[in-house]
Amino acid sequence: MFLKKKPMWGKKTKLKSSYDVVIIGGGLHSLATAYFLAKEHGITDIAIIEKNYIGFGGAGRNTAIVRANQRTQYNVPLYKEALDLWPVLTKDLDYNLMFNNCGNLNLMHSEAAMKAARMTIATAQFHGVESHLIDAKEAKELVPALNISEDITFPIHGAMFHPPGGVVRHDAVVWGLARGAAQKGVEIHQQTEALGIGTKNGKVTSVTTSQGVINTKQVLISAGGYSAALIYDMLGIKLPISVLTIQAMVTQPLKPVLDHVVSSGAYHCYANQTLKGEIATGAHMDPWPNYTTLNTAHYIKHQAEALSEFLPCLRGVRFMRIWGGLADMTPDMAPIMEGNNHVEGFFMDCGWGYFGFKSCSAVGKYMAEYMATDNCPDMLKPFALSRYQEHKLMGETAALVNYSPDN
Amino acid sequence: MALTITCPICGKRNGYEFKFGGEEKGPRPEEKDLTPEAWCDYVHMNKCVAGVQQEWWFHKDGCGSWFPIYRDTTTNLEQEDQKATNQEGKNDEQV
Repeated sequence: MFLKKKPMWGKKTKLKSSYDVVIIGGGLHSLATAYFLAKEHGITDIAIIEKNYIGFGGAGRNTAIVRANQRTQYNVPLYKEALDLWPVLTKDLDYNLMFNNCGNLNLMHSEAAMKAARMTIATAQFHGVESHLIDAKEAKELVPALNISEDITFPIHGAMFHPPGGVVRHDAVVWGLARGAAQKGVEIHQQTEALGIGTKNGKVTSVTTSQGVINTKQVLISAGGYSAALIYDMLGIKLPISVLTIQAMVTQPLKPVLDHVVSSGAYHCYANQTLKGEIATGAHMDPWPNYTTLNTAHYIKHQAEALSEFLPCLRGVRFMRIWGGLADMTPDMAPIMEGNNHVEGFFMDCGWGYFGFKSCSAVGKYMAEYMATDNCPDMLKPFALSRYQEHKLMGETAALVNYSPDN
Repeated sequence: MALTITCPICGKRNGYEFKFGGEEKGPRPEEKDLTPEAWCDYVHMNKCVAGVQQEWWFHKDGCGSWFPIYRDTTTNLEQEDQKATNQEGKNDEQV
């Protein structure tokens, strides 16, 4: 696939010896940042360095869900903008991203969860994001397949209904952004591994790759789950990150049965029906750091049990495909974005956990502004690494599901 | 992604009986003259090594022991070889 065929996004180019900007990682945050650097800031001399192929990591492994019902006042506006950007990007990229704002339904299984949902909803409404609290009966009206009886492990008390959320075709976003960036002059180099970052007098000077050394003054590491290991290996910077494997799967295709994204914190499970009819479902994470991206029998059983309790019509349905991807978890479930701090010209965008997909459009826009102007946009200021030292961890852990080896 | 952990008391057991307890980071820093930087480094910061690391585990569904092991994070296999990538002081000189 890397030999003679012409990539769909444009012509293959030879790696040059210098670029204005080098971006390590060929995922959505990298592609979006490159796209906005070229589109909004006229910086087109960019190389994206990808060890495998674009969309190999989280970009191609997520379950395509987008939403803006996070917990804190720092996160909600960022995700809201990301959500608002999908129709805009579809038009600007001239690429059908298949944005389907079918709405998200977060199930609540206790009065304490209902109270937490009330606070999350109040935050969303304050920031102009549509979100409502509904009771179990209303949830059943929206999703008739739901089991609202009281004789299941976690009976449904109600739900947080977030109508503007939904699903975006993740591969289309990868291809659309890659083509959009390449059309503006960005070079994408697959099968090129970044091996090190050269610095001199506290400034970035070069990036060493498996295809040779590139001279550059600016480098961004936004390599998803691999970011933390790369940043420590290349620059010795330790991050408050634990890399866990998150697992997902799809069932055999079914007739239309589920027209919302349904998720449950208590069952550790979310599900939506794809346009092909498969039920795409996931959410379990084994809470020990690893880079395997392998599945576990433990999890398949868990997922089948959870689904057949709150969506009992799925009993007997077969799983067709299973896979895993990496999630770089931070203790406060919020990302780390900053630049020019440890080394001048070095930027990082990581710690997204399993929120990297839903945030990529807005983050690309703001990271591009950050790199082009060397000024941190207000939107990104709360996400600096220094918050851990200042003990200003974000309250995102109060959101509904929380996975980390730290708790 | 099968995981087995060898508990010093109970022997080799299913990984789900255990709770991961973090990367080995050396002794807890002294309270005297402790800076926010040093404390943050001890509490939060990880090396996230893709390779062999020394790490702590708790046998929560067993004898309740806390103990360190060496494990390869790219294969999930315990290592006999007591040489971890995160114990060499590697990169500590940089930046």
